[in-house]
Amino acid sequence: MSTLDDSISSSIGRAASAVRNAVGRVTDRPTEENNFAGLLFVLPNVIVFTLFLLGPIVYALVLSFQEWNLFLGTGELTWVTLFGVRLPLGNYADILQPWPWENNWGALRSPSFNLWWFAVRNTALYTIVVVPTQIVGGFLVALALDSRIRGKKVFRTAFFVPVMLSAAASGVIWRWVLSKNGVVNEFLRPLGLAHDWANSPETALGALMLIGLWGGIGFNMILYLAGLQNIPDELYEAARIDGASGLQRIRHVTWPNLRNTHFFVTVLAIIGTFQVFGIALAFAEGGPARATTTVVVLIYETAFDQSSFGRATAMAFLLFAVVFVFSYYRYRIEQQDEVAY
Amino acid sequence: MSKSSYDYPGYERSGSRYWAKTTILYGGITFGALLWSLPLWWMLSTALSGNPTGASVSFIPAEPTLANFEELFATEPVGRWFFNSIVFAGSVTAFNLVFDSLAGYALAKIEFVGREKLFLLFVATIMVPAMVTLIPVYVLLAELGWVNTYQGLIAPLIAQPIGIFLLRQHFMNLPSSLGDAAKIDGCNEFQTFYKVYLPLAKPALATLGIYTFVTTWKNFEWPLIIASDESMYTLPVALFAVRNQYFTEWGLVMAAAAVIVLPVIAVFLSAQKYFIRGMTLSGMKG
Repeated sequence: MSTLDDSISSSIGRAASAVRNAVGRVTDRPTEENNFAGLLFVLPNVIVFTLFLLGPIVYALVLSFQEWNLFLGTGELTWVTLFGVRLPLGNYADILQPWPWENNWGALRSPSFNLWWFAVRNTALYTIVVVPTQIVGGFLVALALDSRIRGKKVFRTAFFVPVMLSAAASGVIWRWVLSKNGVVNEFLRPLGLAHDWANSPETALGALMLIGLWGGIGFNMILYLAGLQNIPDELYEAARIDGASGLQRIRHVTWPNLRNTHFFVTVLAIIGTFQVFGIALAFAEGGPARATTTVVVLIYETAFDQSSFGRATAMAFLLFAVVFVFSYYRYRIEQQDEVAY
Repeated sequence: MSKSSYDYPGYERSGSRYWAKTTILYGGITFGALLWSLPLWWMLSTALSGNPTGASVSFIPAEPTLANFEELFATEPVGRWFFNSIVFAGSVTAFNLVFDSLAGYALAKIEFVGREKLFLLFVATIMVPAMVTLIPVYVLLAELGWVNTYQGLIAPLIAQPIGIFLLRQHFMNLPSSLGDAAKIDGCNEFQTFYKVYLPLAKPALATLGIYTFVTTWKNFEWPLIIASDESMYTLPVALFAVRNQYFTEWGLVMAAAAVIVLPVIAVFLSAQKYFIRGMTLSGMKG
């Protein structure tokens, strides 16, 4: 069982170091027989990977430079002239052009309105609000459930069930909960705060953040519960002998000793929120007035409503670039940590 | 659970400070848990209400009725959608268990040329956002004529790096001497894997199986794209479609939501331990 517990706190960086360990441990030379057997064992995965992951990545790169429509068929390169030079970057340039779009939400009525940047703004706002809140929330819930409290299983289930729901279910349920006649307004009406939360451009993104939090806290709670178990009891005992109060122990023992968990949870949350899609689509289909159009919602629309596959793939690569930078940054920091130990 | 900061000699379990702390702890966590359960409770009470038009829904329906469920099942092919979801999640899980255990074993226990590079390649692909590959994969499957088919729904998900990673870790931690002994007794590589190591990997297989099943069951993005015909919808896509169809008939919509949500909760309650382990591992998914 310790294997599984080990895996619980593992990450890509640890995978890399595991490989290095394995390389160090292996003393036998690969034999011809082993080569044959080994390749046979991994063959199904290699085929699936090539067909559905590596091949598509390469193909996506090609697509992103082309005018490609599912119904009109294969495309030509899309060109853009930059400083008198013709470059095949048409899709990338188009994304940054103003988008012709009619709307009735005053805030957006501008001739230079660019839907891509608006989607980036929505995604960034969502990330900035949801990530810290769900990390702190997950930590607090984990802390409470790690203490001497009865009914842990019931509480854990309450917080964790939303994690398991399909984005479609979460989005649709919240649509009803937050609707004009929904349960949230039942509570707010006596206070004079009733509002059509899902149908107003001003509040729809905030509502989406709430759904993200609802689904995210349980996941972070589990990661923190796993992290809390790895803190040696001796540290708490030592702090107690030094006269630290409960809050001081949390601040000086618990929080710093969860450094790896914080890091892991943060990067995961950021990468996840960058790609928020399903709940936005199921909740409000990107609306009202584009208020919940996130980057991936826009990619989906561009590809499957407008059939502009080339342009959508170019957007996906821009997103990939951002995710890659974060992943690389995380990898670098993990490398430095290993040196520090 | 660790011993927690409450388990030490001399810890006071009385007095006003203790009771204040305890009250805050229980009060806070109970409030949070109720808040978190509210949407699901509201879903259920709406689904069980006769004619839910906003104000008429109460926390405990005065006259609980299955009318919404009956109407939903009578007007929509819910059975078919349920079947599609089972086929989708079931086959994806089965394929992943077979393929990932083979690959995980080879990457852990067989010394063959290039295996570390291969493993790094598998792990590195975890970082690629789904949207990047989704469109080309769709184009590929459209060329094959696999849109709106079970094979189109299932094929792209049958081998996922997370499973390879988990099972490789597990096999690495099993002693190599077991395999050496089996080989001396005349087992070939496949027999060694199948008869000796695989039975020892049952806990890891259970974790991976439950994790894969639930994440596939709740997968919304891929079926939404590949299944455009009603008869090929999985439950999440169907719910999305039903919502647009019965826009204001929330009783029906919530009944549909309950049909997806209740099995997941049942699975969770029966396999909590494995499920949470698997979920923690999805940290890998990025």
